[in-house]
Amino acid sequence: MTTRNRYVQFFRLGGKHLALLGGALVMLLPFLWMLSTSLTPDSVIVNYSLIPKKLTLLNYVKAWSFSTRFDANVTLGTFIMNSVIITVLITGPGVIIDSLAGYVLARRNIPGKNILFNLALMTMMIPFYVFAVPLFLTARQFGWLDSFQGQIIPFLASGFGVFMFKQFFQEIPQELEDAACVDGCSLLRIYWNVMLPLAKPVVGTMVIFKAIWSWNLFFWPLLIINNIVYKPLSLALTMFRGMNVIQWGVLCAGMTIATLPIVIIYLSMQKSFQKGIMAGAVKG
Amino acid sequence: MKTVKGISILKSAGRKDICSRMGGLLKEYTFLAPAYIVFVFCIFIPVLRSFYLSFFDYGLLSYEAPQYIGLGNFLELTRDKVFWVSVINTAVYALGTVPVRMALGLLIALLLNEKLAVRSFYRTSYFMPVVTSMVAASIIWTLIFDAGNAGIANRFLSLFKQAPRGWLADSGLAMFSVIVMSIWKDLGYCMLIYLAGLQGIPPELYEAANIDGASSGQKLFHLTLPLLKPTTFFILTTQIISAFQVFTQTYVMTGGGPGYSTTTLINLLYMKGFQEYQMGYASALAVMLFVAILLLTMVQKWLFKADETIF
Repeated sequence: MTTRNRYVQFFRLGGKHLALLGGALVMLLPFLWMLSTSLTPDSVIVNYSLIPKKLTLLNYVKAWSFSTRFDANVTLGTFIMNSVIITVLITGPGVIIDSLAGYVLARRNIPGKNILFNLALMTMMIPFYVFAVPLFLTARQFGWLDSFQGQIIPFLASGFGVFMFKQFFQEIPQELEDAACVDGCSLLRIYWNVMLPLAKPVVGTMVIFKAIWSWNLFFWPLLIINNIVYKPLSLALTMFRGMNVIQWGVLCAGMTIATLPIVIIYLSMQKSFQKGIMAGAVKG
Repeated sequence: MKTVKGISILKSAGRKDICSRMGGLLKEYTFLAPAYIVFVFCIFIPVLRSFYLSFFDYGLLSYEAPQYIGLGNFLELTRDKVFWVSVINTAVYALGTVPVRMALGLLIALLLNEKLAVRSFYRTSYFMPVVTSMVAASIIWTLIFDAGNAGIANRFLSLFKQAPRGWLADSGLAMFSVIVMSIWKDLGYCMLIYLAGLQGIPPELYEAANIDGASSGQKLFHLTLPLLKPTTFFILTTQIISAFQVFTQTYVMTGGGPGYSTTTLINLLYMKGFQEYQMGYASALAVMLFVAILLLTMVQKWLFKADETIF
């Protein structure tokens, strides 16, 4: 390689890194700015730079109890707890329900198997907004307004989950199941003791997907929840917004608290998360 | 021993015989039941009911019983100015976000596809906005686009000695601001899907091209892009379908304003169905959305089938 070529290579690489870095900064800057604003006292906000000259944690204290003006018992912690409850109760049972269906559709010969699987696929293609109105009426009938069950039950099963589990279980060699059969396992035991442990990668992917998706749920809770006590975090953030005088510091503190759990989970699991999305795309 | 006996049974009887004795059809349907109960009651029946409701004048807040009015809701929709405004807004939004997001996503995926140091840092940074909640992101960008002097957007402009703009308060700029935010939000998703597509291209093809003396430009346009067609179609359709359904950003950032300039189809659905509680009218809107998306999906399938690259 000539010296000139080496220079060209070096500048190309440098240029690439510069472009990528610039872009990455644009991606991350809003979050960094949010963090820095949350730590800046109100008096300084208009004139600050990215790295705040004065630091304060007062905004976080205010953000924690901002909702007490509406209901003395409700703090930011209440909203976080609500979101946690909803997320856990959608993710846990949801993964089980999807895997049960995926297993049967993959390994057992039942009449109507193909129709049933296609139905599950169809649910992925129907946008939620198409049936939001009647679903709301149903929720009203069942007394699901202003409740946890109303925020959880409609999302307990997902076509995507059934699809992923079915694809995975199909690949497992028949011998494993036969061996279990011969040893006298019931269907439930085969599923619980043999199939599910094998499906760890899919379970992992589905857990991450469902968890992040349910944490960020907004539209449906917006429709059915009016009582502040049941509001998930995503709804609570808009309450922040609705206040007359926008205190940026407090607002950013609230948002940092709201975004932090997701960011932490994401950073610790990014590899599996990205793999899951890419795998879903390739199969699709 | 049970197992030894079992194996001899296996050898003598057919495989299917053994395992079918173990459960029975009822158990198998029970496994399917939870998922399909949710599907039927929370998805399929509501979808059918949407079609049904769209033919009625059904106001939750009125004292009258729902009245059958046939295609009345649909006719009224087509006569409603706000409906057409929302159609145009949604189209503008889709045209503004989807191509730009895809192009940028492709660009970054191409840059990241080769062996590069700190690749995973870049991937993580670009994907970070995707996992955060749309509500939080919308609020952050509302602050960025603040019309006063403190907003980052205006400060950025002042670096170039430009006057501050109204952004979200300016009916001419509001949709533009929402579009910018949306591109930022889901760029990482396009990047990731393109990365997956790029990794599906066998490196031998590039080696062959190198041996033939192809330049980078030639490799890009005659090798990479054509091979990415399936990925591109996939992203294009899914992105357009989700662009049709934009709601959260416009609701949180501008509430559909100023003056309906950021009201999208779903914003309208929300207004009519859940602020005015006109269930029939909103259902008609939902039906139209469904039909539009169905057509789009069929177009995708047709285009995709017509373009199978064999190599």
